[in-house]
Amino acid sequence: MKKSIFGLLVILSMIAVACGGGSLEGEEVFITGALVGNDAAGFQQNFDSFTEETGIIVSFQGSDNFEQEVQIQMESGDTPDIALWPQPGAVVDAANRGYLVSLEDLGVDMDEYRSNFSSYIVGLGEVDGAHYGGAHAFNLKSIVWYQPAEFEARGYSIPGTWDEMIALADQIVADGMTPFCFGMYSNGASGWLATDWMEDIMLRTGEGTATYDKWVSHDIPFNDPVVKNAATFLSQIMHTEGYVVGGTDAIVSTYFGNAQDPMFEKDANGNPGCFMHRQASFITSFWPEAAQAGAGSETTVFPFPAMDDGLPKAALGAGDMFGVFNDREATIEVVNYMLSNDFFEAAAQRPDNSRIYGHVDFDTSLYSKDITRVLADTITGALAENAFRFDASDLMPPEVGAGSFWKEMMNLAVEGPGYIDTALDNIETSWP
Amino acid sequence: MKNLTQREKIFNFGISLLALGAFPLVWFLSQAILFRELTEIVSRNVLVVIGIIVGSSFVFLLFNGMERLIRLAPRERRDSLEARMFAGPSLFMIGLFLFYPAIRTIYLSFKDRYGKEFNGIENYSWAFSDTEMLVTIRNQIVWLVFVVFFTLFIGLIVGWLSDRLNKGEAFFKSIVFMPMAISAVGATAIFKFIYEYRPPPLTQIGIVNGIRVSAGEKCSNNRIIDGELNDYADSSCNRAIGWLQQRDLSNLQIGETLESGGWLSNLLVNFPLNTVLLLIIMIWAYTGFAAVVFSAGIKAIPADIMEAGQIDGASEIKIFISIVIPYIKSTIVVVGTYMVVTVLKAFDIIYVSTRGDLETNLLAVKMLDEFSKYRNIGRSSTVAVIIFVCVVPIIVGNALRERENNSL
Repeated sequence: MKKSIFGLLVILSMIAVACGGGSLEGEEVFITGALVGNDAAGFQQNFDSFTEETGIIVSFQGSDNFEQEVQIQMESGDTPDIALWPQPGAVVDAANRGYLVSLEDLGVDMDEYRSNFSSYIVGLGEVDGAHYGGAHAFNLKSIVWYQPAEFEARGYSIPGTWDEMIALADQIVADGMTPFCFGMYSNGASGWLATDWMEDIMLRTGEGTATYDKWVSHDIPFNDPVVKNAATFLSQIMHTEGYVVGGTDAIVSTYFGNAQDPMFEKDANGNPGCFMHRQASFITSFWPEAAQAGAGSETTVFPFPAMDDGLPKAALGAGDMFGVFNDREATIEVVNYMLSNDFFEAAAQRPDNSRIYGHVDFDTSLYSKDITRVLADTITGALAENAFRFDASDLMPPEVGAGSFWKEMMNLAVEGPGYIDTALDNIETSWP
Repeated sequence: MKNLTQREKIFNFGISLLALGAFPLVWFLSQAILFRELTEIVSRNVLVVIGIIVGSSFVFLLFNGMERLIRLAPRERRDSLEARMFAGPSLFMIGLFLFYPAIRTIYLSFKDRYGKEFNGIENYSWAFSDTEMLVTIRNQIVWLVFVVFFTLFIGLIVGWLSDRLNKGEAFFKSIVFMPMAISAVGATAIFKFIYEYRPPPLTQIGIVNGIRVSAGEKCSNNRIIDGELNDYADSSCNRAIGWLQQRDLSNLQIGETLESGGWLSNLLVNFPLNTVLLLIIMIWAYTGFAAVVFSAGIKAIPADIMEAGQIDGASEIKIFISIVIPYIKSTIVVVGTYMVVTVLKAFDIIYVSTRGDLETNLLAVKMLDEFSKYRNIGRSSTVAVIIFVCVVPIIVGNALRERENNSL
């Protein structure tokens, strides 16, 4: 039996070679990434129609330990064809080490790629004028989660500006409740939530995206007055008495995934534990199961409030980027498909999908969940205006973006507003 | 042996080269290539069967083949060749998987973040000046002192006391030994639940915080009594504490009155609470092991020595200190050595609990952080070398002591 199948395969492949000439039938392309569970299944599903059409077999293997594994694979030369990193900084790093093939060398139409994903996104994967990163899924961070029913019942309205948000927070405190959920503990990455706050404030103060880009590339020092101003705004949220659930100590102790749970919990008077939670779109998967069903209706989002009327409506986000390890013909086919408008269709229609595709022409009505559609529209809108910015801590050198920036934000939360200068100075000196 | 001709010498050398070098190498490579090719063709189940049959006969045929080649050598050379034959393959394996990586790690520790350019001792000066590294080294020392001392101390007491039991000794010892059966990851998961913190007003699911917030008249851990929710929002209630996030005692009641001054209060002001709470996991997991080994050692003490002590009127404590401890001294040293090495390699407890955040890091986790989080091969190798350097003297000392004992 084994033998006959084997024989059949040999004959079939001979026929394929004979008839197809350069056909890629049966070629295999191997992709690894950090996606697991539903997301991994959705990603794999995207290739079903592609495999049917071209005969190229694409297999994806996701792992929780992807970033370590791919490091080791690169060191040993045993790389996959394509790797999907959860942040562009790692793609640039791999390109710097000479492991990746640039998109130009693969023959990707760069002008089309730019117009589909904005030149900012394309620029994220740039090393010495060549581009190595292929854009993929995004998530949105410039959002504040709230419950419209709770707001309505108490006559609160959605704050459009920072000052309105502070006024609302004061009102909530005066009414004997707590305005903000805030938890930034995260095993091995504690502090990233505060860096997200900083980034959102940076995008809305100073000269907006221009200052932000200079801050990321270290053209302005980390202890610049603009950054200090942003840290002062953040400290206002963290350190004002009564603003945050459980007080300052709770900010560093609360696991970010549990941080919003107080919003779903009513106290003896029927009041929720908090009213507003600024957190990225992926937080819904950390909610209690009962709350997850109400994402987009019972619990939904308003945009992070504006701080300066003169600036465009910026959006902060993060996302995956893929890098390519070889220029086999089959790999090139897959890369072109992954950058095309059809690519994400299958995943978007999955009922459990909460990942968002960055392609500006992607039909957002395909998304199965309402909330995903709203977030996707915001992202593509900001991309079109070139006001979408990537998570700064992912783009900074890892010593800062995954080291001192996180650590000093934790210290700032504990030590109080008097620590702002020390924190920023420490981060500045740690910049390599 | 004395009057070997040149020709015989060359012949002998050829035989040893063939038997100890070329044959094992060819044998090993052919196996490797065979299996690499087979995985492409044969299905998994067949491969497993072939693996068991071919793989297990591998060693037999390897030694058999070498033996045959050695028989070609003159009789008086055979003994030494055969000795080498048995040591050879394992030395080869140790060299390939232990010595080569160790030497390469030392080499890489003098290179930059990409492992390309040499940068002198920069990595080492970083290792002993960077604040995070210094905290990591401090933690490693705290772990060494506390874990080794308490596992030995509690282990000795449990071993001694269980030996005095009239019945139920096996049961008692197996309970103390039980944590050894759980992996460090499992043990950490258990303790994570014990220390768990939830933001108010959520129900505290960690037992420590659960007890804390329930203390007091108006306080209850969100229990519903007669349809009414009893929470811990009242200001008289204890606050819940994120135990693994406490770098000092400042959030505890005793912490509030602390002031730096004398050495004791200085020590308490800087008391790394989360680190100590984490190392308790390791003490819990390894005490049983120490106790069982000590108990075996205590059982080997001849009864007449103990009786002599009792007749001379020595108290239990006196017997313990003057007879038991000196008698099982070498056991204590062996267990102590084992514990020191285990603590230096300790990884899983930190990796699955805090992942090194808030000043709880240990060297083994730091080594991985430098490699994958900060993508710095040079520094990562440097941390590895530091661990290596700490372990080596202990192993060498142990080996020397062993030799001394044997020569006695």
